[in-house]
Amino acid sequence: MTPEDVAEPRQRLHPLSPLLHGAKSLVVIVAALSWSTLSRVGLGFFTLLVAVLLVGALALSVVSWYNTGYHVVGRELRIHEGLLWRRTRAIPLERLQSVEVVRPLLAQLSGLAELRLEVVGGGKTEAPLAYVTVADAVALRERLLTLAGRAPAAAPETLGAAPATGPVPPGQVGGPVPGQPGVPGLPGLAAPPAGRDLHAVSNRDLLVSQLLTPQAFLLPFGVAFVLVQFFTEGSWSFIAVASTLTAMAGVVLQPIRRVLDDWSFRLARDESALRVRHGLLETRAQTVPLDRLQAIGVTWPLLWRMKGWLRMRLSVAGLASGELDDRSHPDRLLPVGDLATAQMIMSEVLPGVAITGTLTPPPARARWVHPLARTALGAGLSARVFAVRSGLLTRELLVVPYARIQSVRVVQGPLQRRLRLATVYADTAGGPGAAARDRDLHEAWALAAELTARARAARVSGPR
Amino acid sequence: MSERGGDSEHREEPTGEPAAGQPTVEPTDPLEPWPETVRWQPVSPDLVKVEAVRLGIGVLVLVVGLGLGLAFTGHWFFGVVLGAVVLLTAWRLTVIVRAVRAWGYAERDHDLLVRHGLLVRRLSIVPYARMQFVDVTAGPLERAFDLATVQLHTAAAASDARVPGLRPAEASRLRDRLTALGEDRAEGL
Repeated sequence: MTPEDVAEPRQRLHPLSPLLHGAKSLVVIVAALSWSTLSRVGLGFFTLLVAVLLVGALALSVVSWYNTGYHVVGRELRIHEGLLWRRTRAIPLERLQSVEVVRPLLAQLSGLAELRLEVVGGGKTEAPLAYVTVADAVALRERLLTLAGRAPAAAPETLGAAPATGPVPPGQVGGPVPGQPGVPGLPGLAAPPAGRDLHAVSNRDLLVSQLLTPQAFLLPFGVAFVLVQFFTEGSWSFIAVASTLTAMAGVVLQPIRRVLDDWSFRLARDESALRVRHGLLETRAQTVPLDRLQAIGVTWPLLWRMKGWLRMRLSVAGLASGELDDRSHPDRLLPVGDLATAQMIMSEVLPGVAITGTLTPPPARARWVHPLARTALGAGLSARVFAVRSGLLTRELLVVPYARIQSVRVVQGPLQRRLRLATVYADTAGGPGAAARDRDLHEAWALAAELTARARAARVSGPR
Repeated sequence: MSERGGDSEHREEPTGEPAAGQPTVEPTDPLEPWPETVRWQPVSPDLVKVEAVRLGIGVLVLVVGLGLGLAFTGHWFFGVVLGAVVLLTAWRLTVIVRAVRAWGYAERDHDLLVRHGLLVRRLSIVPYARMQFVDVTAGPLERAFDLATVQLHTAAAASDARVPGLRPAEASRLRDRLTALGEDRAEGL
């Protein structure tokens, strides 16, 4: 298809691969047909059915194997796939985050291995090469890492995702990129947070803050309602009350979990990372390297405003964040605190960024889209970050450093077109990007251009 | 390649152009921001055919179903729906033509611009440095009309940089250029 294809012949995967894939689909086929089919049609017909489907699956595997190829072209790896829907994926080797040689059970039995190439951002392995011989896999892995031209240790280590989380493949050869230092972000290391202590959240504040959530706030009313119903109307059986209470418990669970999770929350920092420690039943110690930080969110829940409290969270980029279980992924920066504390933490994390920076609301005609919340919206560019604010009742501020902007988008819906408005998005890796909603069209273009330019400038000058 | 090299002086300082929130030239058309610095490349008009065939297949199934219903029951309702489907299809065809014209991409010095959409207009600005990998895909229908789709992936799931309706040669060229530029301007995260 391309002239470069002559550079290196396309290589196929191991000829046994379709067999292994077919064997995998056998399990799926049997599970799909299920026992009830077996009992209905009898063993003989069932076997025939399985055999026919298996042959079909095998044929498809063979076709797919025949059309799958990979080769290294210059400094990129190309993977070709598909007969009818053809896809060629070009991965610059610099972008490879990790190259793993993985050997699932079946592959182990047949002396084969799967090569998993991961790039950042995608929730799953973007380019598995299944299967090749172990020797080939190891050789290719070495070659890719050498071609990538950087010490593998320089590969940005992942947060928590590090060595083979989840279903640990048996007999992992080589493992992830060697020399991953430290494995930051692995929870459960009960070591006390080293470095300079920044802040400790008082448990009383945490309790009060969680009592000031809608769930906790409305709980007495709910209980009273149930009790009144129970005592005044005979129609309410005990079962009904019990199930109502169970439902309520589900609602109340979130504040309780927050209290348990964020108990004795302590934040410290050393040279290049934030160290977070929290939890009552299960103490978690998390390390957030500052250069992996993508965005910071500040939330003012409605009921907390009487106390002047807010909550801060951060989003970090790791590879294959989908594999991380939610609770071990670091996201808390401050479970509850006042503005001064938040400002102090913000200055530590992003020096020179003010939480109460001036943000401009969208033009007056945006009230047709946001009759009430127009003035709550806002967007602003400061020296290092793009900040957007939204939410009438629960006010939220999202701060994205220019250096972390992945792409910029301008989107204009039909209603916005009539009003000559547009929304500007600054996308970040992991977590939501910042959206400046309903800006004046000219301003939106200028904003997009400015964001692009500043993101580039921040990128060129190097991340901090 | 040659025609692109010629106009590089027009694209010298695109990113910094509207300085400090003060656009020097007012963008005239919502689809044409910074007209003086960006040269939009259209996608192939053959994409109209691909989309039309795609639409046609869907409509065909519907029409056959309705036609059978009409033939067997003779109920007026099927006729009305059939007419509506035909009218909608005709309208949709005109929309497809305009939607394909709305697709466009531009390679600036440091980023790729992709715009598309009629009802909801979208413009994506994706810096080459943020590219993680590039996919070139071609389904059976696209290949029948000798077209391919190039999609640029970044670490952000929301990034939306897909250019359909490219000739395979142009798709390969764009792919190679994107990966080459991405390598030059490494980093990625």
